[in-house]
Amino acid sequence: MMLLVPILVTPAVAALFCLLARSRRVMAFANVIAFGITVALGVGLLLRLQAPPHVVTEWEEFFRADALSVWMVLLISVVSLGTALYAGRYFQRDLAAGVVTPGRVKEFFVLTPLFTSGMFLVVLANSLGVMWFALEATALSSVLLVALYNRNTSLEAAWKYVILGSLGLALALFGTVMTYAAGIDQKSTVPHSFNWSHLMSMAGQLNPRMIKLAFVFVLVGYGTKAGLAPMHTWLPDAHSEAPSPTSAMLSGVSLKVALYALLRFHILTTACLGSGFSRTLLLVFGLGSMCLAAPFILVQTNLKRLLAYSSLEHVGLICVGFGLNTRVTIWGALLHMGYHALTKPVLFFAAGNIHQTCHTLQMRLIGPGMVKLMPLTVVCMGLAAVAATGLPPFGLFFSEMTVLNGGFAAGHWVVSTIVLAALLAAFCGILYQLTRILLGVPKVARTSDAAPLDGVPAMGLMLGTLVVFSVWLPAPLMFVMQHAAGIIGGEPAQ
Amino acid sequence: MNPPHPEIASQLITLLAAGMLVIQLLMVVQGMLLTNIRLFALQSLMLAAIAAIIAFFHSATHVYWVAGLTVVGKVFFLPWLLSRQVRKMQIEQEIAPMLNSSASMLLCGGFTLLGYVVARPFTSLDRLGNNTLGVAITLLLTGFFLMFNRRKAITQVLALLTVENGVMLAAVALTTYGMPLVVELGIFFDVMVAVMVLGLLVYRIRETFASMDVSKLSQLKG
Repeated sequence: MMLLVPILVTPAVAALFCLLARSRRVMAFANVIAFGITVALGVGLLLRLQAPPHVVTEWEEFFRADALSVWMVLLISVVSLGTALYAGRYFQRDLAAGVVTPGRVKEFFVLTPLFTSGMFLVVLANSLGVMWFALEATALSSVLLVALYNRNTSLEAAWKYVILGSLGLALALFGTVMTYAAGIDQKSTVPHSFNWSHLMSMAGQLNPRMIKLAFVFVLVGYGTKAGLAPMHTWLPDAHSEAPSPTSAMLSGVSLKVALYALLRFHILTTACLGSGFSRTLLLVFGLGSMCLAAPFILVQTNLKRLLAYSSLEHVGLICVGFGLNTRVTIWGALLHMGYHALTKPVLFFAAGNIHQTCHTLQMRLIGPGMVKLMPLTVVCMGLAAVAATGLPPFGLFFSEMTVLNGGFAAGHWVVSTIVLAALLAAFCGILYQLTRILLGVPKVARTSDAAPLDGVPAMGLMLGTLVVFSVWLPAPLMFVMQHAAGIIGGEPAQ
Repeated sequence: MNPPHPEIASQLITLLAAGMLVIQLLMVVQGMLLTNIRLFALQSLMLAAIAAIIAFFHSATHVYWVAGLTVVGKVFFLPWLLSRQVRKMQIEQEIAPMLNSSASMLLCGGFTLLGYVVARPFTSLDRLGNNTLGVAITLLLTGFFLMFNRRKAITQVLALLTVENGVMLAAVALTTYGMPLVVELGIFFDVMVAVMVLGLLVYRIRETFASMDVSKLSQLKG
């Protein structure tokens, strides 16, 4: 039975269906169903990958899923499912408040599955060219989502996002083209293939100078989309101005999908040039992002921008994990991707609830004592914040420790110390800022139209999954992650 | 089929690539939006001609596709779309750029030099049209400069499109037979959709801010 094609097609069909549907309820339901199906298909794929050769290909290798792709497929589908669960009630409140028009809500339910479909194509495409245009497609479908509220500020955010994103992607395309050119052999008459697996199999014969230049272009290009500093300037704007479900998708998976694309080139470059070149660059950009994010977290006044900078910091840590390039840190970074994808959407969902009740994101205006007004939301947000800052018993503690531990064990004292300092700063910043608004006695009297259970199913799903996988990683998942770490660590994929 | 006159082809390609560069420099100093759009159309036509020449001399059928798509999309459709928008908004002229035209010209001269320096290690390869890589990189750099130098949203879209032209020129210059058709098609449709999305945003920005001046988009900080 085919698995990869259905994973790609299901969200696209849902988008088409939503385009034709009239009722908002039906559209929300279609989204939930579609992402439910992709989660199931993802699990199916996970199980199929257990058997050798541990690679699934379809359409004559046009689509290809190895352990790394499967890990990404699972993250994308779970976060999309959570988002779809949250979005229905969120937009119902927005419509009641008159913040959006029904047309825009429809736009959301059509574009979100397309966005997801694009991300699936990024991680399942074998050809690096197809991967590029799939990433461009995700950027284009999400930019209208960022602009959904049509406020001055959201248009500004969307403009920055699309201009910077497109520039970045143009650079990435240049790098992709160079990678392709690096593999062309003058004498061979065999039609050249753009497939990643093919390029990997001939990594030794690629033109090393071209690969080197290509990686620099791709790093800057896809790095922009992944939000790495100093190309991150679109990130806090887009995350804070987008509707909360979209913020959750952008932060939870979209950044990581761009990182995935970067990783594919990293693996190829490492196979061609040896491990020194690309991992050093990843390390530098990762550390830069972490160090830049920390001060912004400490002085931030806007709730969703705070969360966005926290995402920047986590992406930085993931990059550092890959950059350190030991088996342990790579494994930790992969784990961190997963736990962060489960945690950050919860924070954005809760921030969305707070936004809709207080009509502002300025933490000074929100004021203390949210716990009295919306206890369940605050409990979820508190738990997720504790998780995101890397406290036990949540998985992020474990993955951060793994990366740090691996770093120290491999003798990277300076890097690991910087990482530790940045993590501590972010830890203090986030907990300090959030306790000020969540706890305490309310100073502003507010009436809320929120039902107590708003967003709780979605937040509960993500938090529940986080807790379960924090204490127990099922054997098939463990296998896939170790295999994925092996792929990145330079071991052959089969 | 043996290439009839590889020398002529190579020189034609070099000539056309140089033409693309000249047009790019004209766009840097030119302030009228409609003229800029026409210049872009002309630049794309040259790109299409380069692709067609390469397709002819390598008898590579699918590169003809690339040439045809470029003509349809970038020579006719996108310029038509953009000029319609410019007319509808009744904004003809770019406001003063950040840097005046002589300084811009000097800077772009520097970019050209840089482009050739970066491309040098790769021009030794024995391929038709590989000497255009320097031009491609220069188009990339000047496109970036154009984007930061101008404040009208439409000019930024045009700058992005010239960057795209630079990348496509590099693709033609570096890869002998062009990229696989599915990739070329994907890139083509992405560019079309991108311009439409950008156009939609420009329209909304214009409605909300009563201006197309993107330097007014500066509320989000920190």
